[in-house]
Amino acid sequence: MLATYGQYWRINVLTFLEYRANFIMWFGFTIVYHFTALAALFVTMHQFPTMNGWDVRQMFFLYAMWMAGHELHNAFFFNVVSVPEYVREGRFDRFLVRPLDSLFQVLTVPSQQFPDGLILATITFCVATAVVGVKVDLLYVAMVPLIAIGGALIDFGISLFVAALSFWFVRVDTLRWVVMSLEQEFTRYPISIYQRGVQFVLAFILPFAFMNYFPATYFLQKTDQGLHLNPVVGLLTPLVGLAWFAVSYAVWRVGVNHYQGTGS
Amino acid sequence: MIALPRYNLEPYVEFAKKAFAREATYRMEVFTEVGSLVLRIYLLRAVWTALYAQNAAPMNLPLHSMITYATIALLMSLILEVDGTRLIRERLRDGSIATDLMKPISVPFYFFSDGFGNTALHAALVIPSLLFALLLVHIDVPSPATLAVFFLSFAIGYFVNFLVNFTMNAVAFWTLETFALQIIVRWISDLLSGQIIPLVFVPGNIGRIVLALPFAAIYSTPLLIYVGVIPPGGWLAALGFQVLWLVVFAAAAAAIWRAASRHIVIQGG
Repeated sequence: MLATYGQYWRINVLTFLEYRANFIMWFGFTIVYHFTALAALFVTMHQFPTMNGWDVRQMFFLYAMWMAGHELHNAFFFNVVSVPEYVREGRFDRFLVRPLDSLFQVLTVPSQQFPDGLILATITFCVATAVVGVKVDLLYVAMVPLIAIGGALIDFGISLFVAALSFWFVRVDTLRWVVMSLEQEFTRYPISIYQRGVQFVLAFILPFAFMNYFPATYFLQKTDQGLHLNPVVGLLTPLVGLAWFAVSYAVWRVGVNHYQGTGS
Repeated sequence: MIALPRYNLEPYVEFAKKAFAREATYRMEVFTEVGSLVLRIYLLRAVWTALYAQNAAPMNLPLHSMITYATIALLMSLILEVDGTRLIRERLRDGSIATDLMKPISVPFYFFSDGFGNTALHAALVIPSLLFALLLVHIDVPSPATLAVFFLSFAIGYFVNFLVNFTMNAVAFWTLETFALQIIVRWISDLLSGQIIPLVFVPGNIGRIVLALPFAAIYSTPLLIYVGVIPPGGWLAALGFQVLWLVVFAAAAAAIWRAASRHIVIQGG
């Protein structure tokens, strides 16, 4: 399986070398996406300098932390979005007759995935770290990659869950798009601006707050003014990511079995 | 300019009806769309309330006006975010554009009516969405005169938006792949049109430039009229500026369309 995965990335790199113009186009795409989001943030914070005690630099750090997890997800797990299409067109059946895990096969369909977003996210995160003046010690250096991985798993869990729904419903593309864009919008702000119930959902049900809010609260030495949790929970992101991924993988398995069961 | 239909309007009404029916079959998508809109309205209320609570309110845009602005912008986006000219791309990719051009119809007008039918379905969603919105936020209702000018300005904005999309999609005649370009333009346009944040918040000269760009004619002008930032004295100038952009883009779309139809004939279809 590892050898297959290595092969997959070899093909990706070769494709990238072959289609350099394409790479530049997608890079531009990713830059514009994050640039517009950040520009809106900067303009808003120019007019309103503080949001529940977070200033513009801290809000930038919050965004950069979300971006790290999200782009890590995009680099390695993005192709799960194609599942509804595979199911609709009957191509998913092919994965079921091969001797490898079907999810693994979905993730290794050659699809010209370049880690452009991940590169941009790394740069943005370094800039944000410098700008916000966070204390960079051993714990920070060790935890940040783990938090990014945890964040990516949280993201992956959500996409996998939506993808699994396509075994029961034909069109889930809009749902997926909506979930992704809402994730991006709700994680852009400190969760203390929401009502109790929404905070609870973002922390414990769809744990997006663990992608950026809790870790950022810990590293910026702020207090959680929403749920009043101890800031140390921010370091639990990798575990939350694993747990959340385990749950959605279970749902995925149920979906695959259902799909095989109906033979549709 | 887009050629007017030679015979009658009937086929175009049918195209629009067909597009409406086609979009209405995806019921789950329609529900998701309304659901997402409700969440967005909740979000905008939370965000602006938090921002206004701890900072000095900007001149002439108090919190209730800001929430009205953002809610109306979302409702408008139900209509404006529909890419009514997506069909151009699809017809080009599978080659059926060739037969379309042979039919005794005006093809741009055909695309317009398809887009219009598509939009009509989403426009119908505005009503339930508005009702949900009213459960979450209070929306200011301006005087009837202001409301009338708002709708007029919105209509002009709709056409500007259609022509911008049309021009983008017509580029596909040469490149066949315009998806990335189009999404990029959409994101920039969302930001610069004043859909996400009122353009009056953009500071200094950049603010003045942004307000003068064609994107501002799509969302910003009608919305600023609605919330009263553009007072009655400024209505005529604001509408005039919108019409100016409308004319510019109509000319651009017509030129591109002429060049494109010639291009496809030379290629042999």
